[in-house]
Amino acid sequence: MLLRWFMVFLFCGLLPWSVMAATEIEISSPGEQSIPLALTNLLPKESSPSTRVAGEFNEVLLADLDLSGLFRFIAPAAFLDDAGNIGLYSTQVDFPQWRMLGSETLIKGTYSLNGDQLIVEARLFDVVNRRLLTGRRYSGGPKDIRRMAHAFADLVLKELTGEEGPFSARIAYISNLTGDKELWLMDVDGKRPLRLTNHRSIVLNPDFSPRGKEILFTSYRANNPDLYRKEIYTGKEAKISYKSGLNIAGRMAPNSREIALTLSKDGNPEIYLIGVNGRIRKRITDNWGIDSDPTWSPDGGRLAFVSNRQGNPHIFIADIFTGKTSRLTTRGKYNATPAWSPKGDRIVFSRQQGGRFDLYSINVDGTDERRLTFGPGNNEHPRWSPDGRFLVYSSDKGGNRAIYVMRADGTGSRRLTNLESDCRHPAWSPRW
Amino acid sequence: MSIVTLHQNNAFHNDPKFGRLLLVSLLVHGLIWVAFSGSWFGTSSRPKPPVYYVDLVHKPVINPQAGRPDPRPTKKPKAAVAKRTVPAALPKVVKKPVKPAVKPLVKRTQVVKPKPVPKPVVKPDQRKQKKIQSALDEIRERQARQAERDALKDKLAKLRDSVGAAAMIPADVPVGMPDGTGDEVGINALLFVQTFIQQNWALSPYLLDQSRIANLEARATLRYSKAGKLVSYRVDQLSGNKQFDNSLKRAIIKSQQLPQVLPKDLDLVVVFNLKDMAAAR
Repeated sequence: MLLRWFMVFLFCGLLPWSVMAATEIEISSPGEQSIPLALTNLLPKESSPSTRVAGEFNEVLLADLDLSGLFRFIAPAAFLDDAGNIGLYSTQVDFPQWRMLGSETLIKGTYSLNGDQLIVEARLFDVVNRRLLTGRRYSGGPKDIRRMAHAFADLVLKELTGEEGPFSARIAYISNLTGDKELWLMDVDGKRPLRLTNHRSIVLNPDFSPRGKEILFTSYRANNPDLYRKEIYTGKEAKISYKSGLNIAGRMAPNSREIALTLSKDGNPEIYLIGVNGRIRKRITDNWGIDSDPTWSPDGGRLAFVSNRQGNPHIFIADIFTGKTSRLTTRGKYNATPAWSPKGDRIVFSRQQGGRFDLYSINVDGTDERRLTFGPGNNEHPRWSPDGRFLVYSSDKGGNRAIYVMRADGTGSRRLTNLESDCRHPAWSPRW
Repeated sequence: MSIVTLHQNNAFHNDPKFGRLLLVSLLVHGLIWVAFSGSWFGTSSRPKPPVYYVDLVHKPVINPQAGRPDPRPTKKPKAAVAKRTVPAALPKVVKKPVKPAVKPLVKRTQVVKPKPVPKPVVKPDQRKQKKIQSALDEIRERQARQAERDALKDKLAKLRDSVGAAAMIPADVPVGMPDGTGDEVGINALLFVQTFIQQNWALSPYLLDQSRIANLEARATLRYSKAGKLVSYRVDQLSGNKQFDNSLKRAIIKSQQLPQVLPKDLDLVVVFNLKDMAAAR
């Protein structure tokens, strides 16, 4: 009996000690702030190999994933024999080989090209846990290879981040390549440019409808800055607002039922809400100053816009329902072209300082203002990607004005359009 | 019973066939050994003996002594011949006193003062003034930027000096930790494990919602054997963010074999968070 009590006492005495024996250590940041990824070339499957297909798919995918900033790419020169292994099942992949190269994720794929029929299969693997993360089989023609690569890049981002990428979307912009400022459309990597208008005039300020099927823009075609709407697939075009004076900076509401724009029909430029048929529904601002460049909050309840009502042009936010207006920016002498992020937390805008424009972003409550662009040239007209990860903007830092894209924190900037023409006013479409 | 057995054994030993039987037995055993040790059944399945790369300089210990974690051989001072000798003191040059030049005396004569000619009043050109003002503003701005840059340079130089001073610890200082209080030669085993796991933890900030980085935290219990092998692990508390949780699981799996042996079995509770990353934003 005494022995039993002694054992219980001993157990109770040792239990807390054994619990405390585990020492606690804290790791407060990862050793590597990117995911090591091995991206192998597509391998031919049951068909004659086409270096163009494999090369183009790899090039597009690499560019998209590199822009995401998520990955550190393993040098292809270091790849071992599994890179030439056609097997796409996790049991067929030699994971230890990839792990030896320091990779955590692996992209492998095959293609078969029979005449005009192209089938691409691509897989994303988790090297550490030796499992398939995601994969797709794309079918189309050889001309669709870029779209397939963009779609797979979106899928990779969705698997790893939980949110689809924006690479399958398009970017609308204004270019004077033909001699006149016309509306153009291109892929997110700047490829496949396509002219949408032939107004032989000045086209400005394009913006996509929330579903991405229509584009709003202002054109001087009728010698007055009128607001137009164009259906992308059918090419149909309609003049929506053609009041005397300005009809500019039209932005469709998230519910697609209203358009916020700047009208100067009464002399002074003010922000109005109009229906998709062009009828005025509400006047948002009523002030002696110039109010312009509205941008919707994702919930459709507020509008950010530029106004010089307190002296210099600054960004203001107006509540659509109450009409209450508050000032957002306080620094700088000239703040313009605001764009509300799709997540609703930040607003990006351009500010003139030291004689040139740079991009800044700020929280909706006016805190945490950050400068995003540095260096030479003017950086203007920022717009968000549909996932809020990237920004597209125009800049003349390379000489002529061109369209650039970068991450939302200002890193990874790259030029999309060439410097032959003047390109500006980009707008990133919703996901197609 | 035992007597009988002994007796029987003795009888067996005395048997003349015993030697032959022993020989046969040895031969059979030998054949079996050759059959199994040879390459008849393939040798690839044989487990390889574990190989430990032990860094004796950075040996992980429990109670490290004070010292330097990364000993670097310092350059030996070169022979005196190679040294450039500098004279202790330069001879002072004694300057001769220079006599002041004698000024020639000039007789005072009446000087007719010229009448002041009224200068033409130049009206300030507003454009010019604006230009000057803008140029001045620019210069001031440039000066301010330069001052800011100089301040940053000073700060950087100070940091470099401090790092340089740390690196200049002489080579004969024992291997240990800067804050070590024990008496063992080596580095802190806990810190060693922590650094190894951290190096294996790869997580891109672009994977996460930037506004929630500071709140992400997960806890895992890890048990390492003395041989540096991860015997078991258990994730006690997840952050709720799939990307964050997956990344730390991968880090743990990648850290299943430490590159060094440990002084003893280690039970660790590892807290993963992104405080440093959030602070750097």
